[in-house]
Amino acid sequence: MYTRHLLLFVAIPTLLASPAFAQATIEGRVALPKTHAAPVMNMRYEITTKSGVTSTNPPLAVVYLEGSFPKPATLPTAQVAQKDLMFVPPLLPVQVGTRVEFPNLDDTYHNIFSFSAAKRFDLGRYRADEKPVPAQVFDTAGLVILRCDIHEHMRGLILVLDTPHFVVSDPEGHYRLGGLPPGRYTLKAWIDSKTTLERTVELQNGVTLNVDFP
Amino acid sequence: MTAPVQVQPAEFARFRTRLLVAMMLVVVVVAATGLWFAQSNVAANVQLDWQREFRAELAALHAAQEVRHAALAERCRVLARKPRIHAALEDNAPDLLYPNARDELADVLGGNNSRPETAAYALHAKFYRFLDGRGAVISPPSDQDAGRLKHEVESSLALPAVPTGPQIGYIENRADENSPIDEVIAMPIVSTETGEAIAAIVLGFKPIELETRRAGLGIQSGIWLNGRLHLPTLAVSAQTALASEVARALTTLDPAEGSFPLEVAGAPLLLFYKRLNPDSSYPPAYEICLFPLADSLARQRRLLWQFAGVGALLVLGAFAASHLLSARLSKPVEQLAVDSEENRARRARAETALELTSEELQRSARFSADASHQLKTPVTVLRAGLEELLAGEKLSLAAREEIGTLVHQTFRLTNVIEDLLLLSRMDAGRLQIEFGAVDLTPLIEAWLDDLGALPDGLALEVETDFPPALWIAGEKRYTTLILQNLLENARKYNRPGGRIRIMAREEGGWVILTIGNTGRPIPPAAQEHIFERFHRGAVGENVPGHGLGLNLARELARLHRGELRLARSDDMWTEFEVRFLPAQPAPTTAGVSA
Repeated sequence: MYTRHLLLFVAIPTLLASPAFAQATIEGRVALPKTHAAPVMNMRYEITTKSGVTSTNPPLAVVYLEGSFPKPATLPTAQVAQKDLMFVPPLLPVQVGTRVEFPNLDDTYHNIFSFSAAKRFDLGRYRADEKPVPAQVFDTAGLVILRCDIHEHMRGLILVLDTPHFVVSDPEGHYRLGGLPPGRYTLKAWIDSKTTLERTVELQNGVTLNVDFP
Repeated sequence: MTAPVQVQPAEFARFRTRLLVAMMLVVVVVAATGLWFAQSNVAANVQLDWQREFRAELAALHAAQEVRHAALAERCRVLARKPRIHAALEDNAPDLLYPNARDELADVLGGNNSRPETAAYALHAKFYRFLDGRGAVISPPSDQDAGRLKHEVESSLALPAVPTGPQIGYIENRADENSPIDEVIAMPIVSTETGEAIAAIVLGFKPIELETRRAGLGIQSGIWLNGRLHLPTLAVSAQTALASEVARALTTLDPAEGSFPLEVAGAPLLLFYKRLNPDSSYPPAYEICLFPLADSLARQRRLLWQFAGVGALLVLGAFAASHLLSARLSKPVEQLAVDSEENRARRARAETALELTSEELQRSARFSADASHQLKTPVTVLRAGLEELLAGEKLSLAAREEIGTLVHQTFRLTNVIEDLLLLSRMDAGRLQIEFGAVDLTPLIEAWLDDLGALPDGLALEVETDFPPALWIAGEKRYTTLILQNLLENARKYNRPGGRIRIMAREEGGWVILTIGNTGRPIPPAAQEHIFERFHRGAVGENVPGHGLGLNLARELARLHRGELRLARSDDMWTEFEVRFLPAQPAPTTAGVSA
């Protein structure tokens, strides 16, 4: 399934970043807001802003562990593609300092820009064969709303986090965050631009902690 | 007859006056009502005219506002479709809002060369500001792009919440001396995605001027806002006074629209007000129009004078007319009153006279009857005495002749007395005819027989012409008396050797008997008196008679429901005519016995 694949894709760098194998794991479920939207076929996500609150629809959560972790020397490059006039993936969590590429996979122009405080940029108009692929480095933590100046309905979210430990939940809210160092941290669940839930967790090596939000 | 009838003249005067007053009252009331209606109609028309004018000008204003609304709504739709505007509003980047909107709204602020009559003029804004999702003003990074505004003016653009539809407002902007009042329109920017109003844009305009084509008529217009009046053509003190008048009217009269008259600097004006921004979240603003009333008042005054003149003429005419009319109406009434009064008086007199006459008649009739009775007896005694004397044999021939004449005179006396008795009975109304069928023929023939036996030596020639039977309605005794009287007269007053003609015929429902003779003519002057009692005309004394015969005959003829008249009297011929009612012949031969 596309999402599963996506989650794996997101999880791999996290796992690679962990120094040892005897590490802690957190799993659980985030209670996601109910959506009244019709069941989405083939899991197309859209980003909506209602009453100033931006979220994905259907909702997804990003669960991440906050704490001071050593900064990696290099960070992998992430990608948010534009395909079928959609951002793929619709919601991308990245660690601060990550470079994100924005390849255009459509036959039309796109003009990706953001007015968000975390990152303001404007890539200008470009086509699929644009080389090099337009990219931005996100070095401030926060939510970045991606828009296309040509296609007003296109939205995408990049959640820039100051941690290497994060994961996007599945549509039911289930998540699993592995390879975590032991210690006392704050576990956070981002649900939308105005809602981030948090829990203090005590992690021990080899122990799988079950944390449900809320 | 002009008897002094006593009818109260004062009453008639009162009646006529009352009639006159009532008529005048009706005329005056009708005229006054008519004038009042006409006058108020004219006043109402003037007010209506101004109101129409005011409405027409406001309609022009609304039309211009509509253009603005439409253009602005379109502009807002375009803005809402702009991802950058959306981004600036939704992604909390107000600093990027104005720069990104600048291009879109450049033509709204620019275009100073637009002509006032074009639609572009209507959309030529002085400034614009965005309101965020809560209705608060988003200040532009620099005034350059969005038009300069003082801070307090800018904050007056805020709304309690982001509007869902266009809102018209008026704000004071004293920085601009040309136009201290600005008209603003707030238009929501609706998210194309969710349909929510995510923000609003407020555009400030120079207020649309009401048409000034009637400026020559002294019409002034302005705007009332927040208790202050902005009407630059008026003095400041007058503006203040007027503003409070309007404020009072808004609380006491209709708060949406209305009018009231007032005076400014001694000049009468009609003030119209109408709310410019009904249903708006901005404070209420009113269009104020002042229409001069001096002209129309003068016109009304002129009209009033004209009306009064016409009314006076009308009333005068009505006065004359009703005077005539009342006189004419009251005249028959008056006449009626006089007549009835006269009639009453006359009747009263007549009744009195009748009563007297009747009494007198009764008395005289009684007297005559008494007298006749009293006379009859001595006359009978007298005749018996005389006849006894006559029977004696010692009398000389001369004495015998003398006594014979005396006996004859007693007969005359008896006749007179009997006639008198009959007349008096008739006068007293005690004589009644018992009607039966009477045949005249045998009566006439009997008299003719007597005539032949009379030794008078007149040698009269008698002509007759009557049918063998002539039945009339009567009582034989009295019918005989009539005939005897008439035939006796014909004989008595005839000349010797003269003629008597007796004719009878039935004609026109009457039986007419005419008895003519060749007697001396009755002079015309005497003809009308011959039927009076004791009238004997100029007949010689040697003719026997006592002057009661004709009278008696006529009275009796009338009792028979017939008539007796003198038909002719001249040198040759005197003729009487008597008419009777015909009757069916009696079945027996009772009529023949005489």
